[in-house]
Amino acid sequence: MGVPFIAVRGLLHSDILKHRPDLLVNENPFNPGEQVVMAQPIRPDVAVFHAVQADRWGNAITPGHRDDLMMARAARRVIVTAEEIVAGELTRRDAVDDTFLPAIDVEVVAHAPLGAHPCGFGSLYEHDDTHCREYLAAAKGEASFQTYLERYIHGVRSHREYLERVGEATRQVRG
Amino acid sequence: MAQTVDYRPEELMAVVISREVRDCETVGVGAVSPIPAAGCILAEQLHAPHITLIILDGEEYYPFPAGGSELHFMAQRGELDLFFLSGIQFDRRGNFNLHVIGDYNAPSVRMAGAYGSAMLYYMAHRVILFRTEHTRRIFVEQVDFVTGAGVTPENVYREGGPALMVTPKAVLAWDKTAGEWLLDSVQPGSSVEDVRQNTGFDLRVSPSVHTTPPPTARELHVLRTVVKEKLTRSYPDFVREKILSI
Repeated sequence: MGVPFIAVRGLLHSDILKHRPDLLVNENPFNPGEQVVMAQPIRPDVAVFHAVQADRWGNAITPGHRDDLMMARAARRVIVTAEEIVAGELTRRDAVDDTFLPAIDVEVVAHAPLGAHPCGFGSLYEHDDTHCREYLAAAKGEASFQTYLERYIHGVRSHREYLERVGEATRQVRG
Repeated sequence: MAQTVDYRPEELMAVVISREVRDCETVGVGAVSPIPAAGCILAEQLHAPHITLIILDGEEYYPFPAGGSELHFMAQRGELDLFFLSGIQFDRRGNFNLHVIGDYNAPSVRMAGAYGSAMLYYMAHRVILFRTEHTRRIFVEQVDFVTGAGVTPENVYREGGPALMVTPKAVLAWDKTAGEWLLDSVQPGSSVEDVRQNTGFDLRVSPSVHTTPPPTARELHVLRTVVKEKLTRSYPDFVREKILSI
């Protein structure tokens, strides 16, 4: 939307307001006496979306009824990773029940099959529970987390190498 | 002689919730809320066939083209009649906590946070709270963090607020005039003393306190057939573990 702030009802007398400098309490100028919360816009520097398909111009299809388009427009730069880069051009009609991110909102596209791992991705593949448990255990301590990062993030040179390390062979892509 | 029917606490809670849903209402159920989702589908099957039911993450019950923002904007417009919330702590004054246990900057437990609950608690016409654990660590004199406030001054616009609290031991009704919870009924197998002993604040007891009518054979049958089937896709684990089979 690009507005300087937005007025929100609710939230008043919640402790959330004590910890959020981007939420201010003010009087509703159109209804004197009423307190409302004024929220500063969230403007992420970068937003990253994982798409089912993308084309080389930046048009992309992300699954489900979500708020991806709103988030893409809030961000200054948008990166799309995609299961598949299609040869031709994608249009709004290709996104039947899914979200269509138009190229005008997208800056970078990267091919990343199984890019949602260890999360699942729509009907394409399920959560990798084993890996999620490994991550959760590693995240409990600083040293174990560093080991995790070294093994899966810093210690691999590419997405392909990451997939090999987490055991791409054991994963089944359905459909 | 009345026959004893066996049911799980989650089934009882879903049945109690279903009885609170009124026909023709617009009802929203948030994510990770299988008990109210079951209750609302049950109500739709039994006595409230004309409700507009919105279940986040539930494909069959999601009428909007966009994401979770739609439900929130709907509540902001004052068009949401009933919503459900849970929390890690609740207190006498209707406050709920979805944030932290202990000091905010060095908490012993840190939860995911409010999402839209701190707005929905004020803007839905009625909010039913639910929690599967009824103990003194959950029901406290004062929550460690007020995610949403039960009582607010006149200058705060509110469409509604807390209406009911459903647990495996009790149903608490919100006394709007006094601004506090009131023990309305005790669940079968519990007692006023049991509820008060497991509540960390001085819980007032309604003069009309009674035992919740147990689930009927019909309620359980529909819950364990139609509702169970409709809920399986969104909540497979819950359905398998918490709803018994016929």
